[in-house]
Order: sequence, then structure tokens, then C-alpha cells
Amino acid sequence: MLEKSTELHEKFWEIFAKQDRQKIDQFKTYMDKFAVNFNLYKDGNFIEQSLPFDVIPRIISTQEFRKIEKGLQQRVTALNLFLEDLYTDAKIVKDGIIPFEFVERAGGYLKEFVGFSPSKKIRAHINGIDLVKDSKNDEWVILEDNLRVPSGASYPLSIRDTYRKIYPDFFENLKIEPIKEYPKIITDAMNYVNTGGINVLLTPGRFNSAYYEHSYLAEKIGAELVRAHELVVIDKKVYFKNYNGKKILVGAIYRRLDDDFIDPKFFNPESLIGVPGLVEAYLSGNVALMNAIGNGVADDKGIYYFVPKMIEYYLGEEPILQNAPTYLPYFEKDMDYVMNNMEKLVIKDVAEAGGYGVLFGHSMTKLQIEDLKATIKANPRRFIAQELIEFYDEKCYLNNELVNRKADFRAYVIMGEDVKVWNCGLTRYALEEGNYLVNSSQGGGFKDTWVMEL
Amino acid sequence: MEQLLTANVASSMYWLGRYLERVELTLREIGKTYDCIIDVDKSAGTALYKKFNIDLEYTNAVDFLDKAIQGNHAGNLANLMVQARENAIISRTNIDASAFGEIIELHDFLQSLSKNYHPIDFNDIDNALSLISEIWGTHGKKGHRKYSDYFLKLGRLVEELDFQLRFNQKSDVLKTIIKDINAMIKVLNPEMRLVVDDEENMMETIYKTIDKLIVN
Repeated sequence: MLEKSTELHEKFWEIFAKQDRQKIDQFKTYMDKFAVNFNLYKDGNFIEQSLPFDVIPRIISTQEFRKIEKGLQQRVTALNLFLEDLYTDAKIVKDGIIPFEFVERAGGYLKEFVGFSPSKKIRAHINGIDLVKDSKNDEWVILEDNLRVPSGASYPLSIRDTYRKIYPDFFENLKIEPIKEYPKIITDAMNYVNTGGINVLLTPGRFNSAYYEHSYLAEKIGAELVRAHELVVIDKKVYFKNYNGKKILVGAIYRRLDDDFIDPKFFNPESLIGVPGLVEAYLSGNVALMNAIGNGVADDKGIYYFVPKMIEYYLGEEPILQNAPTYLPYFEKDMDYVMNNMEKLVIKDVAEAGGYGVLFGHSMTKLQIEDLKATIKANPRRFIAQELIEFYDEKCYLNNELVNRKADFRAYVIMGEDVKVWNCGLTRYALEEGNYLVNSSQGGGFKDTWVMEL
Repeated sequence: MEQLLTANVASSMYWLGRYLERVELTLREIGKTYDCIIDVDKSAGTALYKKFNIDLEYTNAVDFLDKAIQGNHAGNLANLMVQARENAIISRTNIDASAFGEIIELHDFLQSLSKNYHPIDFNDIDNALSLISEIWGTHGKKGHRKYSDYFLKLGRLVEELDFQLRFNQKSDVLKTIIKDINAMIKVLNPEMRLVVDDEENMMETIYKTIDKLIVN
């Protein structure tokens, strides 16, 4: 189902009708030429491929975006307060708002970090919040919070430049908000928490799926792109190893690898992509890590249920943006509901990400549902259930025809001295009609997102 | 202030310079030899590739182009460009964006030649050489020279020296290139200097110097 067309959409279509559609191929040419890639491993082979791109942008009015912005600022502020509280005083647990069992069992909770407070008490520096627009009530709904290593911002950033070159008419004639300030927002946030030294972006390396993004962002934010062995920890301080052997102090690290791999001395000893001793330097307050270690607890699918309560608890405010109606089988009442309504629910395995471990009740057989019920009963904390949100489709121009595809929206929220929401984002669309999974790892593509006013 | 640069990027820039220079110089030699094979010396291609320690067999001038560019040997240009592309991807934050795009284009172009059914012709060599000229041009356009650019230039010079040793060995040309190499090394590490006493082991000496220049 498509969202009702507005005057902004009409203006877009008016200009689109006059454009040379042959030029659409130039987007793919550009992405190939500049290796704007999202890499995959398939059957043990490394495959470099460009992310499918659709030329029809998602259009959000400035007025609507400002409301989303406020909601996101509120949400990320609360999430950051939650993390800081949880790892220090844990008042939210003591006050009975969140059962400790939920925290303890969340995969990303790291009890070894209790008592540590990072630079400026900021933990959720760069956040990707996934939203959809519900067709039932025209409201934006939060589907997921990504507070560890959210990716994707480089794709709309780089495609916008290309869009302006290929189809300048849109930008000459419409009031589309410019988006170039994203790297500056990141740099400002890094500088704010920097403990003294240079900024670096830590990548797992050339064969990571998002390596293009790592190198692109490093250049744009003016940070050195480094792999683990290009950093060294001496006396609990992190140094960048220059080509000539000189060592330069590092003050902030935008890390693009998960907690488990970041330091083989502290986490997974098998990790070849981590920096030995980094955690010790971090815990000594000698370097800032973006994002903080242990954030996984806040984007755990089970903890997601409690985010509206966090907003009320920490900020004394009503949530501006709502969660999708969610049930935790851990609670008896919710378990009964899930068991009796599984056919219409979406069941998510809290340990999975990237669209994996998501089961749609309506597309399962009776036998599959019975199996799943037994699994949930045996391990209720492992699953959440959500009402299926009938979110809007977006129009896509695929294979020379206009078609409808489900699309979500990842907003980027950066916390530095202030909380800033980038006035763009990653709109991802599903590969096939009717498919609700839009993740890039599921074959989905992306669109530009235009925040526009009349 | 000296530029921050990891050993990995420094090394990638150096190798990017070497591979691109090798592709360019080889293409130019192939062009000259192709002309010679047509009606002057049918065996000129074999003699050329002997200098690269490669035994190349071909039936005529057009076949020479095909075998030289995409034959199953160490001098296969499409394979050399795969290496150049890898080094460009690793060091892309230090390469002019247009030059980076042209490197990818040259890589794709040479890959596509091996997938086409029509024989490679001289126009393909011209196209590849034009792309290389564009790469050098766009990358060199930048006003402010960075340390990473010196590694690229160093790679080009070392490759040029290697070619000169294989082809001409004119001592004045060699001396000029070594002087230029030394100028690069001085910028990158003022305390280092390349000293070549023995012409026979010249390349070995240079490699050892570069190993000291880039501290892993």
C-alpha cells in the first residue's frame, strides 16, 4: 500500500516526467566505477557488488521530519542515560523498571564493564534507528535500535552527489535539504569525546562487507583509516604507527568492529582484527571508543520493549515515537497472547540480526507453528513477538517500470555535545513485492531520502 | 607537519605506482613491437618478452597483441591491473577520487578485453594508454602534494629503473632516475639515502632501502 501522495510528491513526479530515463543507468556506472560496494561472502567466495539503488527517492516533508527528529533525539538521549545508569548505579533495575534477568541475559551486556564511565558519559555516539511508517495510522514506528556499529550512511551520502550531477533539475527546482554536514557531525562528536590525540577509524580490513563505507567515511571525517596492527598499546595508551616508525597518540577511535573482536587480550583470543590491550587503555580513560563497549544490551530485541519505559523513567516524558506493539513471552500474560495469536505475529530471535531469525506467523505451516511454540516455551527469553506492521510501500523504478516495494528508513542519530539527527538516512526497499525484509544482506536495495518543503 | 600514513597505505601507494607504471611501459613497448612485427621483424615480440623472462609464442601481429596482453604468463596486463586495483582500494583515501575511478575503469576495461570475442586491436592499447594518462593527470592535479603521493612517485621511479635496466642500461639515464629516487626518499625520511655502489645488484639495494623506509 502506498502513502497518500502529497504536493511534494506531485512536484517530484512533474520533474521526473521530463527527465531522460536512459540516464538512470549512469547511477550503476558511477557505483561500479567508484567501487561503491557492499561485499558478501557466498559459498566461501568473496563477492564485491554494488548495492542495488533505486532512483525514486523517499520524500519526507520538513515538518514531518522535525517530529521524527524530536522523537529520535528523545529516544537516543534516554538510551544513553540507560546505558550509563546500567553500567554504574543500575537504578533502573533497582527501581524495578527492567528486570535484571533481562539485562543479564542480553547478549550485549558486559558485566566486566560495570563501574566504568566513558569520556563525557557518552556511550551511544553513532546510532542507526530503524523506522517504518504504519499505513493504519500514518505514524512512524520504531522497529529497531542499533547502538553498536550501525552502517549504511555512506551510501546515501555518495549517491546524493551523483544524483545532483545526473539530474540537477530536482535540486534546482525543489527545496531539498542538503546533507553534506554528516561527516562534520561525526567529526565534532569525535572531537568532543577525544581524550587527547588523533582520531582514527578502525576497520576489520579490506574484506569486510562495509569496507567501502569505512574508507569513505575515514576520508570525509578526516580520521586515519587503520587496521588493528596499525595501532599499538603502550602503557595503557593507544598509538598510531606511522609508516616511518613514529608513534602518534590516539584520542578517539571510531571502531567498525564488534565488541567480541576488538581486543584479543580481553575478548575473543582468536581475534586477528582486534588491538591487544585496547580495553585496558579504554578503561583507563586514555582513549574514547565510538561506540562504547557494552552497548549491545541497549539494542537487544528484548530490551527494546522497555525503551518507552526508559523515556518516562529518565526524562519524565511521553515517548514521541512509538515501538511496534511487542510481547515478551517471558511475561506470563504475553506468553498466553503469543501462544494464542502466533499466526498473525512476527517472531524474532533476539540473538539474530540483519533480517535473520525473523519468522512471520502468517506464512508458517501449522506444524512449524507448533514447533516454534515449543521452542519459545522452552526458552522464552530468546524471543520477542510483534504485531505485523503493515508499513507503507515506496514506489520504485525497477527494470523500467514503476512498482511498489516495502521500505523502511534508517535514521542516523549522533550524540556529541548535542544530539543531532542527520536530515537524510538510508531508505531500504525489499527485493520482491510483498516482502517485509528490506535488509541489504537479504538482497534489498536503497534509495535516497529527501527532506523537502514546499 | 609530516602526513600520517600507515605502512600498509604507504606500501599500497608504492605498489600502485609500480603496477600502473609497469602496465603503461609494457603497453608502450607492445605498441612499438606490434608495429615492428607487421613488416620488419616477425620475432620482435619474442625478443621483447625475453626481457621479461617470458617465452611468448604468437602467429602474427594481432595474435601477438592478444598473447601479450592476456596470455597465461606473469606479464598478463589484466592480472597486473587486478593488483593495481587492490592497492588502489586499500589506499583510496589518499587518491584523487577521479583518478581512483579511472583506475577501476582501466581494470574493468582490461578485464573486458579477455571476455570479448573479437580480437584485441591497436585501438584497445590506445584506449588503455589514454586512461593511464588520465590517471596520472587527475591525480597530479592536486595542488598540495602529500607524503602518500611521494610513495606513488617512488613506485613509478623504481619501476622505470627496472625497465631501463632490462632495456637500455644507459648510465646517464639510470643516474637521473636514481637521483630522483633519492629525492623522494629524502622527503619521506630525511635521514635516509640510497647508495648504489654495485650496478648489478641495484634493484636489490633499492628494495632493501624501501624495506627500511616503510616500517611495518
